[in-house]
Amino acid sequence: MKEPLVLRPEGLYCEAGDFYIDPRGRVDRALVTHAHSDHARPGHADYLVSHPCLPLIKLRLGADISVEGIPFGERRKIGDAVVSFHPAGHILGSSQIRVEVGGRVWVVSGDYKPQPDRSCEAFELVKCDVFVSECTFGLPVYRWEPEEVIHQQINQWWRENAEAGRPSMLFAYSLGKAQRVLAGLDSSIGPIFAHRAVHPFLPVYRESGVSLPDVKKPKEGDGDWAGSIIVAPPAVEDAGWTRRFKGARRAFASGWMAVRGARRRRNLDRGFVLSDHADWAGLLQVIEGTGAEMIKLTHGDGDPLARYLQERGVQASMLEGAGMRTAEE
Amino acid sequence: MLGFSELFHDLDGMTKTGDRIDRMIAYFKTADPEDSGWASWFLAGNRIKGAVRTGDLRQWASAKSGWPIWLIEESYERVGDLAETLSLLIVGNLEAKPLSLAEVVEQMLLPLVSADGMEKAEQVRQAWEHLRPMDLLPFHKLLTGGFRVGVSKGNLCKALAEVGGVQPAVIAQRMSGEWNPRTRPFSEIIGEPGNQDSTYLPFPFCLASPLQVEPAEIGQADQWWAEWKWDGIRCQLLNSEQGGMIWTRGDESAGESFPELLDLCPHLPSGTTLDGEILAWGAEGLRSFSRLQKRLGRKAPGPSLLKKEPVRFMAYDLLRLGGGDLRALPFVKRRKKLEELIRGLPDGFPVELSLRVEGKSWEDLTRMREESRDRGVEGLMLKRLDSVYSSGRVKGDWYKWKVDPFVADMVVVGAQMGHGKRSNLYSDYTLAVLDAHGELVTVAKAYSGLSDEELKEVDRFVRKNITGKFGPVRSVKPEIVFEVAFEGARASGRHKSGVALRFPRIQSWRKDKTPAEVDTLNSLLGYARMGEAKRGDGPRMDDAGNLLLF
Repeated sequence: MKEPLVLRPEGLYCEAGDFYIDPRGRVDRALVTHAHSDHARPGHADYLVSHPCLPLIKLRLGADISVEGIPFGERRKIGDAVVSFHPAGHILGSSQIRVEVGGRVWVVSGDYKPQPDRSCEAFELVKCDVFVSECTFGLPVYRWEPEEVIHQQINQWWRENAEAGRPSMLFAYSLGKAQRVLAGLDSSIGPIFAHRAVHPFLPVYRESGVSLPDVKKPKEGDGDWAGSIIVAPPAVEDAGWTRRFKGARRAFASGWMAVRGARRRRNLDRGFVLSDHADWAGLLQVIEGTGAEMIKLTHGDGDPLARYLQERGVQASMLEGAGMRTAEE
Repeated sequence: MLGFSELFHDLDGMTKTGDRIDRMIAYFKTADPEDSGWASWFLAGNRIKGAVRTGDLRQWASAKSGWPIWLIEESYERVGDLAETLSLLIVGNLEAKPLSLAEVVEQMLLPLVSADGMEKAEQVRQAWEHLRPMDLLPFHKLLTGGFRVGVSKGNLCKALAEVGGVQPAVIAQRMSGEWNPRTRPFSEIIGEPGNQDSTYLPFPFCLASPLQVEPAEIGQADQWWAEWKWDGIRCQLLNSEQGGMIWTRGDESAGESFPELLDLCPHLPSGTTLDGEILAWGAEGLRSFSRLQKRLGRKAPGPSLLKKEPVRFMAYDLLRLGGGDLRALPFVKRRKKLEELIRGLPDGFPVELSLRVEGKSWEDLTRMREESRDRGVEGLMLKRLDSVYSSGRVKGDWYKWKVDPFVADMVVVGAQMGHGKRSNLYSDYTLAVLDAHGELVTVAKAYSGLSDEELKEVDRFVRKNITGKFGPVRSVKPEIVFEVAFEGARASGRHKSGVALRFPRIQSWRKDKTPAEVDTLNSLLGYARMGEAKRGDGPRMDDAGNLLLF
């Protein structure tokens, strides 16, 4: 049987519709799951994204790219293929892309999580024949607590630092995680600042109805950081930029923080286990829920998950040629 | 584990020594003395031995969690710490009534040691039912032995000294040797000095720092006492009212393994402690450390082993004499008393005085140091003439001035994820050199020596260039060349290459070199001959160039 999607060097390709999903290199038509840089790459002639992703991808790749936003759930015929975008629950506007050709249905998940997240659309389970799943956290040691619990932990940590007269530096990826963290902060504890890389996305989140506290830029501060929290991308963790926040305690919000070694390696005071990806239980739940007869895994070391699924009678394998990507979230 | 688990997690999360000490003080001030006793015992690095086998633990965790055993193994590989892996896989009891540390130790952990297999499984299962989620990691740490939360013994002593109002050195001595909270309650650990402080215990060892500058920078040569740096087992040998004793640096009693040295103890005045090194020493003189290894861990060695592998105690310091603590005296004064003491001993005992290496200037000493390898020692020790015998490593008093290591270029052919700080990071490397046919042959494993940035870069390379999987080890496309330093090489039947390197570590990343340019096995074998042949027991080759092992 001819499958709707095949793997080419540039990425997953649909011959029937002559388009790629999350491609690398330069292609004519790119369907993009979400605005993170390892999925939304520059240089393609035409982009199709979910409607809420539209302002985010423009911020990332430039306002002048040729891009169209399509509402979630709307069916679009491209050549002989029918495509639709469905919420993936990863970050604002993140999508799973459903591709149907001749009655055969693939769903490409991009990055996803079924757990509730107040800063983006809720994950939607889509039935399919073949499910292309991420498996960033494909081991049972990864088990997420509800986000309310983590938000409480973060506020508690911030409160303790504030009471001791110390600033709190919280590292979180600038698109998605930072906004999710900000949405959970209790602004009665102290002033909230964010690195400039975080700010451009804030109006987009607010306009989508995500409730965010008042967030300032550090240059608007008066130089006294005691009691405040500063949210910044991990890229500036070791940069001179952080030095002005004297005496700050440092924490990182990421699924990787589930393992102590990852925290200790970065010499952090705290690690908050807050992920935008599915945990092990979430992966199993979604994979089973799709009813797919075949599972293709990408992102991360998927061998254990593939083997576990095979032992349970599910046809599962790594999407061949898919890059091993484990470091970023 | 109430209070203790909280202490564990807080200490584990802290990055500053001062914070850790404050946190311990807060714990010891409020905790029940029985809990404090056990907490000090564990924090001092003691462990309950023989509670469970880690293989069994994995099986039970598999049964409890429902995940197949291979998935437990995969998880362990990723996490790099068995106790932590189990804590992430087992849920714990959210509604559990908190137990005290002493209860957990006395009722759950200690009974495991004498329990049989079935009982062990049941008891661990019970523990999992009755512990809070936050108790699991410290519990598993206590169960499996490895208990490190960034607290050194010295800092523990500081915290306890603060709580008890006594000197840290007193605490350190009370926590030396073999003890546990049953034999020595917490009140004795932190209590006022009294006659319970026995001369039977070792003092904390004075340690040397590596000399990392030119010797002229630490002053004139005539302010320093130079000795050979002996390659043996550091220990304190003492006589007390309770009898003779040999303590190693790990605070283990070694007397049973070296009865010929223990026999010497009664000839010392009661209340006398010597510091020195146990060395393998035959009729021809000093032998290599590998010979000494034949005596290690062999309790009550038989007459033939004693005859074949004799040892000698090389004395270099005197810490106590006739009950009086000499540690605050300057080195030269202690040394003089040591010489008198050794001279007064009856003949025929295997004891030696570590002699001064004479040299008027640093130039003289530098020349002498170059003889180290030929003499079978590691280099020179430098002790400041007026230095007191301090506890632990105090910079500026004692230096070890080791000879430069051997180096060879090797290529990475395998990688494994590390543990602790290096979990989920390919940080442990299998290294190879070229054999006579131009094939790569594995000669060493090395775990350290790269910067954090380099580690990350190698990790990225490994992930993209994996060619096979052998248990936790991934074979890797041979491309990365390291300059590897090592202290010596000796023949080994356990390695396919026939050579085992001593203490290999990565010196630098040779990005300018290709795998074709790495060293050859022959050059390493050359080092092996050099390292051992002089002492008459090195490897020999047959006509075909094969190594003869025995």
